[in-house]
Amino acid sequence: MTDNFEIFDVQEEKPKKRKNIFKRIVWLVIVLLILGYFSTSVYQVGPSEMGLVLTFGKYTSSTGPGIHWHLPYPFQSHRIVDIKTLKKVEIGFRTVNYRGKIEYQTVSEEALMITGDENIVNLEAVVQYRISDPVKFAFRVLNGFDMVKFATESVLREMVAINVIDSVLTSERDRIAMETAEKVQKILNEYESGIKVENVYLQEVSPPEEVVKAFDDVNSAKQDKEKFINEANRYSNDVIPKAEGEAQKILREAEAYSYEKVALATGEAQRFKEMLEEYSNAKDITKKRIILEAIQDLLENSKQKIIVDSSDTLKLLNLPEIGGDLK
Amino acid sequence: MKKQTRIIIFGILVLLIAIFIYTSLFIVNQEQQAVVLRFGQIKKVVTEPGISFKTPFIDNVVKFEKRLMLYDIEPERIITADKKTIIVDTYTIWRINDPKTFIESMRSVDLALTRIDDVVYSNVRDLVAKYNFEEVLSKKREEILSEITKRSGENLKQFGIEIVDVRVKRTDLPPDISKSVYNRMMAERYSIAAQIRAEGQRESEIIKAEADKKVKIIISEAQKNAEIIRGTADASVISIFADAFGADPEFFELRRIADIYKNSFKDGMLILSPDSPILKFLYEEK
Repeated sequence: MTDNFEIFDVQEEKPKKRKNIFKRIVWLVIVLLILGYFSTSVYQVGPSEMGLVLTFGKYTSSTGPGIHWHLPYPFQSHRIVDIKTLKKVEIGFRTVNYRGKIEYQTVSEEALMITGDENIVNLEAVVQYRISDPVKFAFRVLNGFDMVKFATESVLREMVAINVIDSVLTSERDRIAMETAEKVQKILNEYESGIKVENVYLQEVSPPEEVVKAFDDVNSAKQDKEKFINEANRYSNDVIPKAEGEAQKILREAEAYSYEKVALATGEAQRFKEMLEEYSNAKDITKKRIILEAIQDLLENSKQKIIVDSSDTLKLLNLPEIGGDLK
Repeated sequence: MKKQTRIIIFGILVLLIAIFIYTSLFIVNQEQQAVVLRFGQIKKVVTEPGISFKTPFIDNVVKFEKRLMLYDIEPERIITADKKTIIVDTYTIWRINDPKTFIESMRSVDLALTRIDDVVYSNVRDLVAKYNFEEVLSKKREEILSEITKRSGENLKQFGIEIVDVRVKRTDLPPDISKSVYNRMMAERYSIAAQIRAEGQRESEIIKAEADKKVKIIISEAQKNAEIIRGTADASVISIFADAFGADPEFFELRRIADIYKNSFKDGMLILSPDSPILKFLYEEK
């Protein structure tokens, strides 16, 4: 730019004007340099952040969200720490953003833990933490995130190791999460890290993939057990009422028999009594009549009637051939 | 022109003074500590943040971290007292607490890390090997760790390093042992499953047998009562008849015999002797 300008200027021969413009450019550069220098003193603190101002390297004050300025380098400098955002450490898995879709990937070497009864369990957890003391966080510790992550891994394994697999999988879940949070907090406090553990959430707690089938089989065995019992109850519910019905039938039949027999006997007895009364009135003639009637029936009912004399000639008579019923 | 020269000279002078001040002062930040060296000789140690002086161009300032640092040690196989192999993955929280000693013995952080690695590692190995697997895993874990921390701290103190904490991140079984653990776990679960099913069958058999028993009881009770009812009825019949027929046994006998005559010769063959009373009138007519 300046070169081009000079060429035109030489032709025009106006030294005074040229000098003025040169001076202005020098001033502009100086002003820009000074502005640039002072721009290092302006900084912005976001809504969730806090600014820490250092004077000659020593921490002197904190500032909240907004635009701020401090003395330029080397007098003052600043650090910005995010204090409100809830940060998250994932243990045993990673959230991966794959083409806009959120997916979870298990990290086996982190997730597999040994239980107290020497089994292996697959445990995934999330630790949420916040920076509670930005000054400590900025000036006391170097790798805050890793400290939270490693301490949690360490404590979780310890907690899993003092429990047996069944309680880790079921009843002790909440307690493990709670106690882990407490212990991790204690460790971080010892480091004076300025980190506050808000929550430890156990995500998936399951048997390792290799043995899932066997664990599922226990569940299906429980279902089978219920099924067996239900079937037996169904059988029981089926046969007992039927038997009760059957019993009622037997009793009713017996009662019917009883009634019938007594009734018939009573009737017959009554008939006998009635007849006896008539018989008593004319004993001899009735007796004869009865006998004769019986003989009449006897003769009428028999198929063949044979009259033989008493001369013993009947000795070889072939009775079946004649047609008699030899009962 | 003269004025301009003066300005230039003034400018150069200011620049020189600035450079002089800049090189004779140094700032130690809150998270730093510094050692001032003159031709390799330690002149001054600054551990507090702030501004300090040094001799320009001659003194050299080396700054170190003052914050706690985390060093992740590579996992390693260790054999426990009960001869089980485990993979122990440790990490160390450390810091430079004496920059003078540190720079004398270590020179750089990288070198320090290899030293920390050596020391912590051998302590982990020594101590873990003294305990059983179960103790390493849970019961004695805290104790072992604090002992490792203590020993490593003592060993590394001479290098200006403070060991704040040594922790075991992971204690895992080597893959081949994991596999046998999985097999055992599976066997265990399958046996539990078998037991549960067998229990189900036991319950089922008990319920069914109980039901069968109840059925038998109900039926036989009914049959018993039925027999009693029948028996009572039969007894009643006997007494009714005895009562009725007892009034005249002769007439009863007559009637019974008459009935026998009537019914017992049905469709039979009747052989009569000529002197039978039935034929009494037949012969008289002749």
